[in-house]
Amino acid sequence: MIDRLRSRLGLVLFVMGYAFAVYWVFTRSAPIVTDRPITIRVAHWQIEKGPPEGLDAVIRRYEQLNPRVKVEQVLVPGGGPIYRQWMRSNLIGGTGVDLIEYGFWLDGMSDIPARYFAPITKEMLAPNPYNRGTPLEHVPWAETFTDGLVVQQVTAPVPGQFYAATLSEVSTRLFCNRELLRRITGSDKLPETLIDLRALSVKVRAYTARTGHPYFTLAGSRDNAEWLLEFLMQGATMQMSQRNDRLGVLALYQWDELGHYLEGRWSFNSPEVRAGLELAREVGLNMKPGYLQSMRDAATMEWLRGDSVFIFAGTWDGTSLRRLATFPVDVLRFPRATADDPVVGKYFFGRFADGGGGTCMELYLNKQSRHPQEAVDFLRFMSSVEGSQLFTDNSGWLPAIRGVKVPDAIKAYETPRDCYTFGMPYVMIGSSVLSQVARNMHQLVGPQGSVDKFVAAMEAVMPEAARTDLRKEINNRYIAVRPQDPQVVALHELFRRTPRNPELAVARERLESSQTQTEALLFQMQRQLTAAGE
Amino acid sequence: MRTLARLALAGLLASAGRAATDDVREAWQLVADHLGRDAYVRLDQLPGPATRERTFAQAVVAIDYQPVTQSRLQSSGATLAELARGDDELAAGAAYLQARLYQVHFQEHDYARAAELYEALARRQPHSHWAQLGLVKLALLRLYAPPEPAAPADRIAAAAELRSRLEEPALVRDLELQLGRAAAFYSLPPDTALPHLLAADHIGGLVGQANEELIVMIGELSLRAGHYAQSRTYFERYLREFTYNMRQVTVRRRLEDLATLEAQARKARP
Repeated sequence: MIDRLRSRLGLVLFVMGYAFAVYWVFTRSAPIVTDRPITIRVAHWQIEKGPPEGLDAVIRRYEQLNPRVKVEQVLVPGGGPIYRQWMRSNLIGGTGVDLIEYGFWLDGMSDIPARYFAPITKEMLAPNPYNRGTPLEHVPWAETFTDGLVVQQVTAPVPGQFYAATLSEVSTRLFCNRELLRRITGSDKLPETLIDLRALSVKVRAYTARTGHPYFTLAGSRDNAEWLLEFLMQGATMQMSQRNDRLGVLALYQWDELGHYLEGRWSFNSPEVRAGLELAREVGLNMKPGYLQSMRDAATMEWLRGDSVFIFAGTWDGTSLRRLATFPVDVLRFPRATADDPVVGKYFFGRFADGGGGTCMELYLNKQSRHPQEAVDFLRFMSSVEGSQLFTDNSGWLPAIRGVKVPDAIKAYETPRDCYTFGMPYVMIGSSVLSQVARNMHQLVGPQGSVDKFVAAMEAVMPEAARTDLRKEINNRYIAVRPQDPQVVALHELFRRTPRNPELAVARERLESSQTQTEALLFQMQRQLTAAGE
Repeated sequence: MRTLARLALAGLLASAGRAATDDVREAWQLVADHLGRDAYVRLDQLPGPATRERTFAQAVVAIDYQPVTQSRLQSSGATLAELARGDDELAAGAAYLQARLYQVHFQEHDYARAAELYEALARRQPHSHWAQLGLVKLALLRLYAPPEPAAPADRIAAAAELRSRLEEPALVRDLELQLGRAAAFYSLPPDTALPHLLAADHIGGLVGQANEELIVMIGELSLRAGHYAQSRTYFERYLREFTYNMRQVTVRRRLEDLATLEAQARKARP
């Protein structure tokens, strides 16, 4: 009897298991054979809250419109070593995905665009078909971006060529714990100037002394401190940048600043640079001691715990900060310097840019993509008015496309056109210089640090660091320029065969023109290196 | 019957030639699409004896076949030198690329040799596109490359001499742009750079950042040189044409500075 029951129970369990497996296979698991013949993959490191959801919404709509194409997101942690190694090894191995996020500031990766990414200039100069029926219908794709893709153009391996489409505009903001601010100051009043911020910091220190609990004006970490340093330096050095702008383009690029350093036009001892450093030290002292040992997550946790009034962060962290905070959050622009500021007032030029200067989360087309047309088509949809609206609504990030409605919740991220930028902050002009700055930051903002110590340390290493970075700039441009010779010849030969196709002639002319511009820049940089004794 | 056979043979040969040409066309298309490696393989697998164009295409593709080696570049150089002995368009292309090898491709650049080759091509086939493009590259060498010492003004004058030999407007524009930018790079007075920049703008056709920088550069250098009306024209044009760029804020500031300078100039007038 028991044996019979056992065998029946076994049978019932088997049938139930089988039925569950059948149910699972037909309802939950991915189909073994996809009905979409083309799959394109998009890799990025924006794994914080917001962007993956935003991109998912874009993908779902794109797949509705394009039943032949499946789009997959590949989320790779961090813009740091993991992403860099993942990207380079896949690109070298020929297994890179179709669309890849890349940033010009990624350490040791500046050769990547020239080697592995294909320009999309021709497509960028034509209207985006997904903008049909919108005010941008007849506008060239490149001009539909809020910044005209200016940062992409500046950092492209070849001037005048477009390599990437962007997803979002970012800015840097102070995120404020309103409850803590009210508890410490007795009001909700936010600081508007640096002088206001100093006064508030005094109150925070007094509150700490009164309560015995350590509170700080700013949440601290190495990342947040470096962003702050870049921002403050950019502001303090604008007069100097204007003075050194010999081309008259009202901007300096990183190679300009490297070359100018080698020509002796500026140094870390320049009064404007010293003022910026002094301000950075002063502001940095309002962070938790030892913050240089921790990364941005630690600062986020510190602020979320309610131990600091503000966190200075990019709006890329905004969605995470606001979703995770258990207190009301105000978003404000970093208090502006004024002409009467005791530290940087002497070099005051105007409010300095805290955003609006460029769009980011740039996606590049892998040269080795098996489906370049579909990949570009997805880029077009992603950066159309419809695609960008979907991304914005679902990510909490600003759009990169004009005419997209910005939700009220993130309006504070927008930067009014009231601030100046002359280009790169002097500490972020190349990976060697940047790593030296990072290595010596403790000399500036540590308890025993000082501007003098930092300047002395930097001046000892800068000549070699600047030369190294300028050499890299030169090498990267050679990598970009050389393959263009076969391409120019190929376009010429194709045009000879089909002279009725003016597009070929235009493509050749543009390529020749941008190649000549790059070569001129190469020569200029080489002369600067020579002037520095090479 | 014999005539028919001859016609059939001629047709066969013609179609074979066409097929070979079309195959090379496919290779050019691959190169234009950044697929040089595929083009290299395709050219290698073409049947039949190598035509002159196929040889040229192979030499061109080999220039950027990764990993690039000096011996492969030397070999391409020898092929190009051989092809450059003709007097057709292909010979001009080969001669141009030969110069390019010395200017940018070989590990050790030989600017003097590159300059000689550009000069020789421009003398031999002055109206060819490749000779014309070579003159722009020659101008860059005169602007920046050794021999030293050379005063910047002399360098610019030597490069500007090439202007009269250029016939293609886009290349004239590129030369003018580089003359203007070089004058500014060498910190020569703005009035040295401005005529060249204005000429480049007059020809037009630049796109993207190059065009944007040209407009703002003319505005700013004109302000510095005291040509206030011209500066205002270009700065205002910048504001109209480049509405999205944050540089707008700085341009507006420069227009305010300009208004102050204009007012001072009016006061100073007797």
